[in-house]
Amino acid sequence: MMQQASQAMPLGKARKTSRRSGREVFVFDRWLLLAVVSLAGLGLVMVASASTSIAERQTGDAFYYLWRQLIYLGIALALAAAAFAVPMAYWKKAGPGLMLLNVVLLLMVFIPGIGHEVNGSMRWVRLGAVNLQMSEFVKLFVILYLAGYLVRHAEAVQTSAGGFLRPLFVLVLLAVLLLLEPDYGAVAVMLMTAMGMMWLGGARLFQFLLLLLALSGALVLLILVSPYRMERLTGFLNPWADPFNSGFQLTQALIAFGRGEWFGVGLGASVQKLFYLPEAHTDFLFAVLAEELGLITATLVIALFLLLVLRALRIGRRAEQRQRPYSAYVAYGMGIWIGLQAFTNIGVNMGILPTKGLTLPLMSYGGSSLVAIFVAIALLLRVDYETRCNDRSGQQEAWAW
Amino acid sequence: MSDKAPTTVSRFRLKVVTGAVVLASVILLWRAVDLHVFRKDFLQDQGDARYLREQPIAAHRGMITDRNGEPLAISTPVDSVWVQPKTFSTAYSEWPKVARLLDLDLQKMQRKVLQRKDREFVYLKRHITPALAQKVMDLKLPGISLQREYHRYYPAGEVTAHVIGFTNVDDKGQEGLELAYDNWLRGVPGRQRVLKDRLGRVVRHLEQLKKPESGKILQLSLDRRLQYLAYRELKRAVLRHKARSGSAVVLDVQTGEVLAMVNQPSYNPNDRGQFKSSHTRNRAVTDVFEPGSAIKPFTVVAALQSGRFRPGSMVDTAPGRFRLGRAVIHDVRNYGRINVATVLQKSSNVGASKIALALPVDALWKVNDRVGFGMSTGSGFPGEAGGLLSRSHRLREIERATLAYGYGLSVTPLQLARAYSVLASDGILRPVSFLRVSGPVAGRRVIRADIVKQVRRMLEMVVQPGGTGTRAQIAGYRVAGKTGTVKKATTGGYSEDRYIAVFAGIAPASQPRLAMVVTINEPRNGVYYGGEVAAPVFSRVMAGALRMLGVAPDESDNPGLQLAAFARPAGGRP
Repeated sequence: MMQQASQAMPLGKARKTSRRSGREVFVFDRWLLLAVVSLAGLGLVMVASASTSIAERQTGDAFYYLWRQLIYLGIALALAAAAFAVPMAYWKKAGPGLMLLNVVLLLMVFIPGIGHEVNGSMRWVRLGAVNLQMSEFVKLFVILYLAGYLVRHAEAVQTSAGGFLRPLFVLVLLAVLLLLEPDYGAVAVMLMTAMGMMWLGGARLFQFLLLLLALSGALVLLILVSPYRMERLTGFLNPWADPFNSGFQLTQALIAFGRGEWFGVGLGASVQKLFYLPEAHTDFLFAVLAEELGLITATLVIALFLLLVLRALRIGRRAEQRQRPYSAYVAYGMGIWIGLQAFTNIGVNMGILPTKGLTLPLMSYGGSSLVAIFVAIALLLRVDYETRCNDRSGQQEAWAW
Repeated sequence: MSDKAPTTVSRFRLKVVTGAVVLASVILLWRAVDLHVFRKDFLQDQGDARYLREQPIAAHRGMITDRNGEPLAISTPVDSVWVQPKTFSTAYSEWPKVARLLDLDLQKMQRKVLQRKDREFVYLKRHITPALAQKVMDLKLPGISLQREYHRYYPAGEVTAHVIGFTNVDDKGQEGLELAYDNWLRGVPGRQRVLKDRLGRVVRHLEQLKKPESGKILQLSLDRRLQYLAYRELKRAVLRHKARSGSAVVLDVQTGEVLAMVNQPSYNPNDRGQFKSSHTRNRAVTDVFEPGSAIKPFTVVAALQSGRFRPGSMVDTAPGRFRLGRAVIHDVRNYGRINVATVLQKSSNVGASKIALALPVDALWKVNDRVGFGMSTGSGFPGEAGGLLSRSHRLREIERATLAYGYGLSVTPLQLARAYSVLASDGILRPVSFLRVSGPVAGRRVIRADIVKQVRRMLEMVVQPGGTGTRAQIAGYRVAGKTGTVKKATTGGYSEDRYIAVFAGIAPASQPRLAMVVTINEPRNGVYYGGEVAAPVFSRVMAGALRMLGVAPDESDNPGLQLAAFARPAGGRP
């Protein structure tokens, strides 16, 4: 492992021209980068557009949310750069520690004075001027921990029930804490991501099916016990039955899509964002995008997310081929997480999934989400970078991307 | 190396994950197409139902001008503040700011809004200046909106208040010509489609469904300068004589147009707070009084028409008293045997009564009826009184006698002015108009021209030395007129200390252009004769009017006459 870390080229030499090919060596996956920059840029534009009315009404400054989002973006880029500088080996070692940190983070939410309640949910921790949504970081750390576990206990995972169940216990502990907030969306994404990783880790199919069954059962139980969930579920199945109460948000989102048609009503011309659509700049940003920029751009965003996820899986696959399973699992995990969260959010916007309170990665307003996702992207790039360095030093194959 | 395990992920499992990601994307894409393309009509309808609203566009009410186009009533844009109570309640903590800006009592405002929580529309305050309205909107509260309306402004204020009347807060005519010509003045509001945000604020004006049609301009017959002059003189007289009220009417005798009509007390139509019926009534049209001696010219007309009298026919008025049954008719003093002209000049009640009783039973009634007493003038003024005129053949002798000097019938100042305009226009009765009339107005002959000319000459004697109305003289012009000092009817008879001073006249007498009536109700400052109280008002206003109209003087300057006018001691008689 130490050997592997030392093989990674120092960053300073990353842009050196390859002597063999004469081409400039580019250390990043360009397609991934293209997807990330496009989505983040488009996201910024849409946050600006969707938040002006709300911002002006709440704060008197129409660009209140835009300025904050720009600051968050700066912080996210700085932290991403820092994360990129850390070799994957350190992350692997830190895995169990991060898991412990997760528990601490989630408990902080419940500490009076720093825990912060919004809309009936204790999801935020107030640190000075900023509110942190802990679940975003928890999801990130869970992936880093689970990747390490799958590597350390590869055989157990593939052969014994214990190897399969042990990490799940830890996840259930986190899930319980998240449910107490409550943050069902985060639980769903975290568990689904974990299951995806275990699937790729080789967990036996029947165990997997059993677990799936158990989780579905738990979810159903949860819905039956909590009427608030139930209401959200029925609202999503038939929002037009009660369009002014439980179906309000969703019908407004759907109307936004219908208004958008092929090319949209024009940037800034959304009507739904004029207080008709709640959370227009956060959870329902995609609906405003669809209204203002139409089917064309909505399709583009879905395609960019697809590209992002496929590149992440490809990066993972290449790392795996180079005998770097930890890096591979991290890449898979990040890809599945971002994909799940993006597709869930878009699905919620379009009324094919129940409302969950999930942000659209890279695009929605919100500092915690932005930071967590950018660190995840940085880790993907780090995996890619280490793989390429490995190839170069081994001179096994020509540079390609 | 801890990464000792061989490749752990089978290609198959990765392909399943990749497939799932692609499948999810395809589902999302399909759904996006479904919503964007196939369901757009339904969804757009749903959206439109939520934020498209139709709103009226206020129409401008027509301007009212005087005969020369000077504005007398104009509409200025104002804003009214209204709220949607439910939405507005979400900003409850901000209400004190709104109340302070709008100068409303906070508790009353709270009660008003909260009691109407199930309504969609509640006015907070109406007709505020656009600048103040903007300040309210700058608070950026939910559920608060403006409505453009028009506020009526009357530049001439109390001077034209009675004739023009006023509109209510909804811009509908309530009194006067504003009411009479409401359909003409009123605009037809248009409609527009607007887009509202969820807080009920209009964010976009989408289309005009119907253009608002402005009301039409109403040009009145009034002459603003003459109106001011008449108002000033009447007000001065009412104040000086501590009178209860007063009216003055100036008619153009060739067209029947009302050139000026003023009353006291008046009110400021721009301040709705002080409206009182006693102040807002257009007394010249709505209030009737017994005309007293001012009716005598028509008694003489009846006498001349009968053929039984000529201007020089003698009537014995001695001894200044005339007993009819239990009643006694008095003159101021014993005039002895006098001719008909002198009966008018001295205003002899005994003479008038004796003439009346010598005529056929219906003669007086016929003349009074034909010059328009007892019926509306047809001016169309809201609330116009028709007065009272009973047919003589049903009357007892005493009643026919008193009718001859103006008791037992009631008229409005406008009716009296119109009747005098018949004397001015050689016997033609024309409809009265508050609107400017162009061209000659056809009338109806009601009295023979030669008789009218004879009566006019007698009436000139009234303002000449020896008559009761010398203070009605105007330098350079010949004036014909008649004074009246009317005892007011009270319960159980006629009052001995409450009078109405009247002067009715026409000028210039040789070729009359204007007829004017001045009534001063209950002068309480010592003098009360029509010739003392009302005639000077006539003189000043008529003099100004003739000059304004550019009427050529019909009398070479006669300083002797003027001097006589001023030198004569107060000697008016009823």
